[in-house]
Amino acid sequence: MAPVEVRDLSKRFGSVLAVNNLSFDIEAGRVTGFLGPNGAGKSTTLRALLGLVRPTTGTATFGGLRYEELERPSTKVGAVLEDASFHPGRTARNHLRVLAETGEHPSERVDAVLADVGLTEAANRRVAGYSMGMKQRLGIAAALLGDPEVLILDEPTNGLDPPGIAWMRGLVREQAARGRAVLISSHLLAEVAQSVDDVVVIAKGELRARGTLEAVLGGDEGLSTIVRAQDNVRLTRALQAAGLPVQTLGDGLLVPGVSPEQVGVVAGDAGVYLVHLTPQARSLEQAFFALTGDAA
Amino acid sequence: MRPLLRAELLKLRTTRTFVALVGATLALSLLVVVLTGLLANDWSENNTRSLFAADFTGLFIMLLGIIGMAGEWRHRTITGTFLAAPDRVRLMAAKGLSYALAGIVLSLIVTVTIMIVGTVILASRGIDTLSLATLIDVLWRNLLVAALVGALGVGIGGLIRNQIVAIIGVLVVGFVVDPALFALAPDVAIYSPSGGAPGGIIDVDPFDGSDVDLLSPPLAVLVMLGWIALFFAAAGVRLRSRDLV
Repeated sequence: MAPVEVRDLSKRFGSVLAVNNLSFDIEAGRVTGFLGPNGAGKSTTLRALLGLVRPTTGTATFGGLRYEELERPSTKVGAVLEDASFHPGRTARNHLRVLAETGEHPSERVDAVLADVGLTEAANRRVAGYSMGMKQRLGIAAALLGDPEVLILDEPTNGLDPPGIAWMRGLVREQAARGRAVLISSHLLAEVAQSVDDVVVIAKGELRARGTLEAVLGGDEGLSTIVRAQDNVRLTRALQAAGLPVQTLGDGLLVPGVSPEQVGVVAGDAGVYLVHLTPQARSLEQAFFALTGDAA
Repeated sequence: MRPLLRAELLKLRTTRTFVALVGATLALSLLVVVLTGLLANDWSENNTRSLFAADFTGLFIMLLGIIGMAGEWRHRTITGTFLAAPDRVRLMAAKGLSYALAGIVLSLIVTVTIMIVGTVILASRGIDTLSLATLIDVLWRNLLVAALVGALGVGIGGLIRNQIVAIIGVLVVGFVVDPALFALAPDVAIYSPSGGAPGGIIDVDPFDGSDVDLLSPPLAVLVMLGWIALFFAAAGVRLRSRDLV
């Protein structure tokens, strides 16, 4: 049984179908990117997973149990949601002490997680004086308090500076290396592409793709070919006659969605000499946009 | 339940609001006792009893209870709170219990302080004070009222999530509606959770001179428990059915 299982999950708010029949698993020891444009239904899905939103139909479970059914949930699941807020008058240490009491964690864990996220020196300051990045780190400290088996991070790089983003990448990789299942939601593929093993892509509340990052966003389907011939006009005619798309690109041609081998065969059959033939992989972003239907 | 209770009590102790309201409770209660003790001349046993019942803990612990629950929405900490404690009804019960306990502790401090100060003032003026047995009787009634209104505050905050609206509403009921009810419909006013019923437990007319037959203490406690159950039930239904988006 996968640590996280979402099965046929749908959520309707009035006339709006925010999530439609969504199913996917998250595996232990891997970082899964939960990707989709703004409004795709990512946060609703995560909230349904965490028992904050009641699914209209379907289930979202951790080891077969709904979040509300977990005993000491902070030891099973740590979550940082996009709108994580803290009482502005409470210090970071006291915020974590409250959570440690609730989750029955030893008080030493408070100092340990403060150190893990680099907030030891600021621990006794009121959260009202924290920057957005510091609040994000505090949210992660809270999620790590119970050393959970599953870590869920909703847009975790929001508010982080470049060193903070690098730190976050290191943290999620480290958690996965320790056998944790990590789910990161983001609308920015570039921010998570370096960290994730698997991706689940959704748009308009529906699943568009799932699998490894390479399989979903970087497969052969995305390959194009840049070609230049001694006679580009003849090659263009030959490609069109073979039913292949072709576009002018500088002093050469772009054949989208077609491999160099296929282009070479067409050119050879037509007796056209090639002077340049190179594959052009579709960028992750292009693939992402193609899946989600967003304009590049 | 015990970890939740400990966590809620820690939450309560770790904000400046709590310190400010405890200070205000003590200062206001002492001010009333000192001024009344120094200036009043009619010292029947009932009036002396009223002096030592001038514990403002009830008002402030109710406000704290409202802030403790409705403040979770105001500061948007409710999501984190529900993640830590997904059983929403259990969470609210823990909050209610913790504010009841806080009310008892606060009322103990305030009542004992005003009893000492009041006794010193009355003794210095050569006025008879209350016997130890009567003082203890006043004390436990004050503690009981503080516990009940603390829990009630949490129920109100759970139902009315806008903290400002809830606080203003309670103040309007306590300072406008209750006195008006006592004047116009005393038979109804004695059941009020912010005036009549607590007055019945303390056995002191909340609006001096209204000459109303208050509820007996046991009945007043039952009425207060009924109000608490009503607010908790309504808030519980709302909490359980609500999506946090």
